[in-house]
Amino acid sequence: MQTPSLLLVYTTFFFALLCQLFPWTGQGVILRPDFMLVVLVYWLLRAPHLCHIGTAWVVGILVDLATGSLLGQHALAFTLTAYLALSFQRRLVLFTAIQITFYVLGLLFFARFIILILKLFAGNEAPSWHYFWPVITGILLWQVLRIAFGSLARPKSSRSE
Amino acid sequence: MLKGVHQKLEPQQTPAFFVRGASPFSRMVFFCALSIVIMAADSKLNYLSQIRQALYGALHPIERIANIPSELFRDAAKYFSVHNELVQENYMLKQQAFEQKVKLQRLNTLQAENEHLRSLLGGDIPIHPFAVLGDISHTGRDPFRNVVIVNRGSQHNIQAGQAVVDSKGVIGQVTRVYPYSCEVTLITDKNLSIPIQVERNQLRAIAFGQSGNTLDIPYLPTNVDIQIGDKLVTSGIDGIYPAGLAVATVTKIEQDPESQFAKIISTPIAQVSHHLQLLILELPESKEPEAKPVETENKAAAEKIDDKKDKKRINTRANP
Repeated sequence: MQTPSLLLVYTTFFFALLCQLFPWTGQGVILRPDFMLVVLVYWLLRAPHLCHIGTAWVVGILVDLATGSLLGQHALAFTLTAYLALSFQRRLVLFTAIQITFYVLGLLFFARFIILILKLFAGNEAPSWHYFWPVITGILLWQVLRIAFGSLARPKSSRSE
Repeated sequence: MLKGVHQKLEPQQTPAFFVRGASPFSRMVFFCALSIVIMAADSKLNYLSQIRQALYGALHPIERIANIPSELFRDAAKYFSVHNELVQENYMLKQQAFEQKVKLQRLNTLQAENEHLRSLLGGDIPIHPFAVLGDISHTGRDPFRNVVIVNRGSQHNIQAGQAVVDSKGVIGQVTRVYPYSCEVTLITDKNLSIPIQVERNQLRAIAFGQSGNTLDIPYLPTNVDIQIGDKLVTSGIDGIYPAGLAVATVTKIEQDPESQFAKIISTPIAQVSHHLQLLILELPESKEPEAKPVETENKAAAEKIDDKKDKKRINTRANP
């Protein structure tokens, strides 16, 4: 388990932005996970001293620019999600890996839901259930991050004591 | 014992004893308020379009990097295309060009004749728009909007509002312009409407985008003369889309006797998903409405009005 540095955090954000900007077509558009959001949630829970609510807001603005949606929509949703993530962050030591996965699933769903509400307020029509596919694919991406950069759950050896 | 436990917990970031900086709640409130202000400014006041353009321009290099894999794939496919296929395609294109040249000869004479007739009638000569060819670089990333991104931007003199067509018909309209790309909203987008005309009987109407890649033509009475299969073309009265471009064909008509209006659904003719190239038409120059010779009974009154206009013009010239 490597200790995260600020450079690592920003590098992962850069690659997440690349993935977000990748020209997705066909089924990919529906299944594409929210790369920036998943990476954001990971670093919020893993290293809250490097990535805080302000980071969430900046990331949200970047996503707004990249998707061409109303400026501030993703920023608001990510800020609220970051607050929710941070409010339970210190208790995560007590969780098992599966519990943490469900917690992240809830967070990703929450962010999507907030964006949906904001879009509906802006006068868009309600989408079909396909809209929530990225939550599922986001969890798969979460597993990749967990393997690559280290799990959040308490190491097993210390649980036995 | 205690020391050991401490060492094992070390990888987990230990919370600071004293809370430094603002609390998460106050930060959350601050950034939420900031986002709401930005959203309001972006949606209602249009202050941010310049800032958005500049920031998107900064994102452009990253976008180019992200596009590299798919471009490489496309180029590789081109490289390995078989010689035989190319020869066949070349032959077909030559034939097509020849056929179109023949048609074009007739078009030129017809156009000249049309202009002559129009000038005899005293009508405006329609402008033949100039067009820029663009490639669709990708579809929009926002699932709520029907947009495509095209690789022509303000560096290529693209302006918001320009009409976009393909070889079959109208695709949509340029809505946002970035330095090296622009966003084209398709006619099936909910926020876009297009003035149309039924080709068969010249009936004018307005078509609105609808979900499910269709167009809706509301506000027409139930006894309206529209049949399934009717071709809808642009009417040209908005001054954006040149008249006579194919838009859609009527596919479904519901005439509910209880409702005042017929429900008419049509599907667009242009096939955005089938090819990569499209044409961006130049906006017609905004001409000032010229004072036409008015044939009124009391010409004196008309002359007086003209005199006043002339004086006004002189005044405005004198005081720029």
